[in-house]
Amino acid sequence: MTVAAGIGYALLALGPSLALFVTVISKKPFLILTVLSSTLLWLVSLIVLSGFWRPFLPLNSAASWPFAVLIITSVAFQEGLRLLFWKVYKRLEDMLDAFADRVSKPRLYPTDKMLIALAGGLGHGAAHAVFFCLSVLTPAFGPATFFTDQCSQIPFFLVSSIIALAFATIHTFSMVIAFNGYSEGNKVDQLFVPVVHLVAGMVTLINFTTGGCSIGIPILYIIAILTLLHCGKMVWGKLTENQIRL
Amino acid sequence: MFLVVILVAVLNSGSSSSPPTINTIATIAYSETTSDSTWDKLKGALLNALVFVVVVTAVTFLLVLLFYFRCTHFLKLYMGFSSFIVLLFLGGEIALFLIRKFSVPIDCFTFLVLLFNFAAVGVFAVFLSKMAIIVTQGYLVAIGMLVAYWFTLLPEWTTWVLLVALALYDLAAVLLPVGPLRLLVELAISRDEDIPALVYEARPVINHDQGSGEYEGQRRAWRRRRELGNDSESDHNIGTSDAEVTAPLIQNRVSSVVDGQESSVASTDNSFLEGIGLGSSGAIKLGLGDFIFYSVLVGRAAMYDFMTVYACYLAIIAGLGVTLMLLALYQQALPALPVSIAFGVLFYFLTRLLLEEFVVQCSLNLVMF
Repeated sequence: MTVAAGIGYALLALGPSLALFVTVISKKPFLILTVLSSTLLWLVSLIVLSGFWRPFLPLNSAASWPFAVLIITSVAFQEGLRLLFWKVYKRLEDMLDAFADRVSKPRLYPTDKMLIALAGGLGHGAAHAVFFCLSVLTPAFGPATFFTDQCSQIPFFLVSSIIALAFATIHTFSMVIAFNGYSEGNKVDQLFVPVVHLVAGMVTLINFTTGGCSIGIPILYIIAILTLLHCGKMVWGKLTENQIRL
Repeated sequence: MFLVVILVAVLNSGSSSSPPTINTIATIAYSETTSDSTWDKLKGALLNALVFVVVVTAVTFLLVLLFYFRCTHFLKLYMGFSSFIVLLFLGGEIALFLIRKFSVPIDCFTFLVLLFNFAAVGVFAVFLSKMAIIVTQGYLVAIGMLVAYWFTLLPEWTTWVLLVALALYDLAAVLLPVGPLRLLVELAISRDEDIPALVYEARPVINHDQGSGEYEGQRRAWRRRRELGNDSESDHNIGTSDAEVTAPLIQNRVSSVVDGQESSVASTDNSFLEGIGLGSSGAIKLGLGDFIFYSVLVGRAAMYDFMTVYACYLAIIAGLGVTLMLLALYQQALPALPVSIAFGVLFYFLTRLLLEEFVVQCSLNLVMF
């Protein structure tokens, strides 16, 4: 529905990510690189998944169980990639620390590490928003709008943007939780992230039923807020215990 | 690149199904029509690309020769002339398209005066850079955009094969000892002159400066000429209405202020130190030709769908990152095209074939992960 609406939907999905980017990440070029590489990684994972699922598409959109399988495989793959990302990051961190020692500058602070994790998560979240929401948003710049059967009260684009926002939040902060969990060997945190991801994915299945999105989306937002709170608690704990090093 | 996408989107949304056939040297071997079979299209595209690369090679060798005989003045004059032509004619054509599309009320004479002034200022900005840097950069961007847009008007298969062929040519021309671009670089280094080229100079972050690069226009300008025949509409039989492309090089050259080779390795390490680090004054220069071809890639992707655009954008940036890393590793002039174009083309086709179906299926049913 016109350019204004199109831009509105795009900003709805990406606004907080953009705000985070501009305030926190654009100051440090290394974080920008991290965002770009994690976006690329997410895209590659998506391509691999779609390559794997291509022979089975188009799925019968009435039945929901093929989508369940789809989601489970996709989430498993992406969580595996998150672990890989973590390993690469560990190696990078060692290299950076060694370099810092060589030029006798201080090592990476915990805040720096969390910022890198945040940047990684932001890349994932932004990639999700871009590929799942923005790329189907192109018709929204035209004069009309589109409604789906399952969710007939609000335009499809609006629903899509809202869901993308929730997921972007979840991705961004679960990366921080995950990195923290891996570095401290905290089993709860390590399991929290894949579980949340899986649950969030499954919740979107509810959208299959008519009127389902009025249940599904609030649950999704509850999950997003839960992730935020958990992340906030964890970060706060970490900051207060390292108060001297801030 | 972003501007090219917008331009393509605006101008193609209202166009008819059959694009105007342009008689350029790029299609001289074969004019593609949609009714031909796949194999014919492929052969035709290959032929076109081959012709194009041959012409480009010949012209580059000619330019190396001229540079060798120190006819730099002639080169500069010639480039000024051709950039004027580009801005005037190509810019005028595109402005006409836009005016037609948006029904802007403007009359002939005002339009001509404005266009002429635009082109003239452009030439001055690019070559006698006594202007504010932002003006120079703006004009470089405009020139790149115009040329890129015109390239996207070529038929589809030709464009893709052309991009791949140019990437391969770039690889050969810079890395092979007999390649013209390598000769050029060596000549310039041996004479200790700056290569007069139309390049962007990307300066790394210095202390608290924002962003990962600042662009500066180069002082002397030099362009490699590309023969681009006239389109069907224009009646000027200039035949070789030139479109400019610069040497697609990345070179690791020192800016004139500092002596010695402060390499770009320092700059990447600086960014690692997360802003606490020292600023070095090594500059990374990227030729305008590279930007043009990236824009062509992205513009062509935009003609399909926006998802391909995002994928290609990311792919090109990734390729650029890889190339910069290689630059830091090898410390010599490297071709900037091959890696990015390879990634870009690969991602375009993967996205178009695989990803789109998947994502559309998922999002239409509001199933996401």
